[in-house]
Amino acid sequence: MKKVSIDRRRFIKLSTLSGGGLMIGFMLPGLPSFGQTIPDCEFFQPNALIRISKNGEVTIFVARQEMGQGVNTSLPMIVADELEADWKKVKTEIAPYGSMANGAHDTGGSQSVLTDYTTLRKAGAVAKAMLVAAAAKQWNISPDKCAADNGTVVNTTNMKTISYGELVCVAATLPVPAEVTLKSPKDFKLIGKEQKKSNLKDILTGKAKFGIDLKVPGMVYASIERCPVLGGKLVSVNDSEAKEVAGFIKVVTYEGTGKPMHVRPGVAVIATSFWAAEQARDLLKIKWDVGQGYKANTVELFNTMAVRSKQPAAIEKFKKGTVNPIKIASQNSHIAEYKEPFLAHATMEPVNFIAQVKGDNCEMWGGLQLPDWTVNQVAADCGFKKENIKVNLAMIGGGFGRRLHFEFAIEAVKIAKQLDTAVKVIWNRKDDIRFQGYRPANYHRLEASWSKSGELQTWYHHVLSTSIAVMTDGPQTPDPSENQGGAMADFYYKVPNVKTGYTNVDFNINRGWLRSVEICMNSFPVESFIDEVARKMKKDPLAFRLSLLDGREMFLVGEGPGAMKQYPQRIANVLKLAAEKIGYDRPRKKNHFIGVATHSFIFAKSYAAHAIEIELLGPKNFRIKRVVAAIDCGIVINPDGLKNQMEGGLAFALQQALKGEITIQNGKVDQSGFHNYQLLRYNEMPPVEIYTIASEEEPGGVGEVGLPTVAPALCNALAAAGYRPRSLPLKNEGFSWG
Amino acid sequence: MASFQLSVNNKSFSVEAEPDMPLLWVLRDMLDLTGTKFGCGVSACGACTVLINDHAMRSCQVSVKAAAGQTITTIEGLSEDGTHPVQKAWEKVAVPQCGYCQTGQMMTVVGLLKQNKRPTEEEIDAVMSQNLCRCGTYHRIKEAVHQVIEEINK
Repeated sequence: MKKVSIDRRRFIKLSTLSGGGLMIGFMLPGLPSFGQTIPDCEFFQPNALIRISKNGEVTIFVARQEMGQGVNTSLPMIVADELEADWKKVKTEIAPYGSMANGAHDTGGSQSVLTDYTTLRKAGAVAKAMLVAAAAKQWNISPDKCAADNGTVVNTTNMKTISYGELVCVAATLPVPAEVTLKSPKDFKLIGKEQKKSNLKDILTGKAKFGIDLKVPGMVYASIERCPVLGGKLVSVNDSEAKEVAGFIKVVTYEGTGKPMHVRPGVAVIATSFWAAEQARDLLKIKWDVGQGYKANTVELFNTMAVRSKQPAAIEKFKKGTVNPIKIASQNSHIAEYKEPFLAHATMEPVNFIAQVKGDNCEMWGGLQLPDWTVNQVAADCGFKKENIKVNLAMIGGGFGRRLHFEFAIEAVKIAKQLDTAVKVIWNRKDDIRFQGYRPANYHRLEASWSKSGELQTWYHHVLSTSIAVMTDGPQTPDPSENQGGAMADFYYKVPNVKTGYTNVDFNINRGWLRSVEICMNSFPVESFIDEVARKMKKDPLAFRLSLLDGREMFLVGEGPGAMKQYPQRIANVLKLAAEKIGYDRPRKKNHFIGVATHSFIFAKSYAAHAIEIELLGPKNFRIKRVVAAIDCGIVINPDGLKNQMEGGLAFALQQALKGEITIQNGKVDQSGFHNYQLLRYNEMPPVEIYTIASEEEPGGVGEVGLPTVAPALCNALAAAGYRPRSLPLKNEGFSWG
Repeated sequence: MASFQLSVNNKSFSVEAEPDMPLLWVLRDMLDLTGTKFGCGVSACGACTVLINDHAMRSCQVSVKAAAGQTITTIEGLSEDGTHPVQKAWEKVAVPQCGYCQTGQMMTVVGLLKQNKRPTEEEIDAVMSQNLCRCGTYHRIKEAVHQVIEEINK
């Protein structure tokens, strides 16, 4: 059984395991939803990923969840390349839940491509080998006289061809080969070539169905009033006025749950339309007992963190050499503290979910990034046997980690248990902004010292945050720390004495994984502080970084099979490329300033740097003139998908740098919509250029690597202009931009 | 409940609804035209944009009563097969990531260009800045908008 608790460090292990599981899973015949033997041989299905029809149409099933990151294109490209399929005849479908081994549908941590790369290639190669064998049998020649090409098999002796469609009946009768040979990367035809999203046309015509668009016969709608403070209880509800709303059906209530998902107690209005449910909800009179949680206040939280940051860390994360505390900075040392607020996902598709309970059976419809865990937890929290829960996955209108959490699924099932029809729960935007698992608030203290001759000697980094693992695992979590991204053994600059630590600071609000998570949280202080140190040492911040990276050997982070490789040289290379492309060494116009930052998204084996040029328009008023991003993610599957992720990552990270902030007073979130949780807008998107390092390394993930260096590069540009922002978002520091 | 006659995508529909029910929910839940998206319900994101008498409107802010008798166009009625110049430009530039906001983005552009075939940069900025995209496709939206303007003014 899958572990019910997961964090990002565990995620990689799970994903690695599930990759192996997928391999076994799709080699087994007779999988659910996929008949292996097709009597009338309408199609050939060698495994759960590929189905080839008589008319030559190739269907590739995508197990990972599509939410904008492009896996519905990149993953099929990998299969189709080995299959030698005609891409124009390839269509993609969501792999039915249950058709794959455990973990195959898990989608997060930028892991899909890098986890599935070899598995998907093998799946394609198996199908190709069987089609080639079928043609050889048909022609009565040896398979080595045959070659697959663009959806056909060619007889290399006489150059006759036969299409895949014509081979399905024969191929379906052949044994599945145990071993297959994979192509040499130099022979890739699809991988590395720009392809448009496989469902692009459906999106553009309004036909694409997201979870919120699904309908189930007899379905009713629910809108939920939740306890405003985490940990509170329902005292009473009066629905006498709500009942008068046309379309009102009934009110159902349910209790909250604790870890891992922290579902709040709810009062759900059931109605014939979502609109009616919303109208009736506004008329409910509810009394809550908010318990002790009402004391939570983010101003106090940051005050606590600031005080605590100066004390020794609760957990030592990494130690090399000797690092003594620095209380007061001198000419040869530096101290700085940084802070970043809670952040919300705010996906454009508001969270929604459909559930139906019939006796002992539960069926669910909607988008889930971790459906296995969801099934396990719904079984545990709502009293079903796992095997009695059916999941129908749907496309997700923006994930960013929001649907790694699944409290909405537990809510929907708790409600469905009290109804005799299917129910669709929709969170309105206010619910979305006020009740999710937020990216942790975090605070950092860094100290560094150097010799008189200008050699960096010590580096100290104390990370403080409201740990996610404390919420998902409980306070007894074996490891609450959030230090990845240069605040643990992955610290990539060459410094002889290093010490890093972590302290969790309790706070009564739920936390969750938001795109780039702790690597984004830590890159801001690490890449700002190295810049500060360089400037204080009167060294060029770019050259100073490179002097601590260039030529440095790969080192391992962690031990055993979970160990990750850190390549300082690749971190240097992306930085050099970004700096070169923005013209770092060229003369600049008056009032123009450039900031740089680099990092490794070690967890997804990708590297990126940003160089940002700003024009200072007036005091604390700037315009972003140009953004250059450089990335090394090994072999690129779909260059257009990569560009999309880097462009989108910039927009996402700029929102965080400029204006993203969730604040809490009296245990309640202050923000309630797009008017006070502002997203980046069209007119705020700067010109952006993306450059890629050509590489033959195994592909890395690209969904998150475009974020972490945006805020530090921007703040370093502001530092070059005479400012040094150490607290995000910049709107709170008196900055304005145009 | 009252009965309303709606003209949507050149078809006539009769719906029974509360007069103040927003057109958004009538389209989505009663007529099954789910290409029009719910994003915020308060005219703050533009995901629900449709054309009413050739003007881009937020369907979450138009009651079914007010929409009755007007000419309504949703993304499903923009073209038979996705070949409206705006859809073609969006396809060529490969704008969408998750795609959720894109029907609203496109309908906003269609509405803008129905009123003015050659909007200035400031006019485009003012209009498009009211449509949100969390995936951050603004860079490509900008490129696609300029391609459409060039195309329709050829």
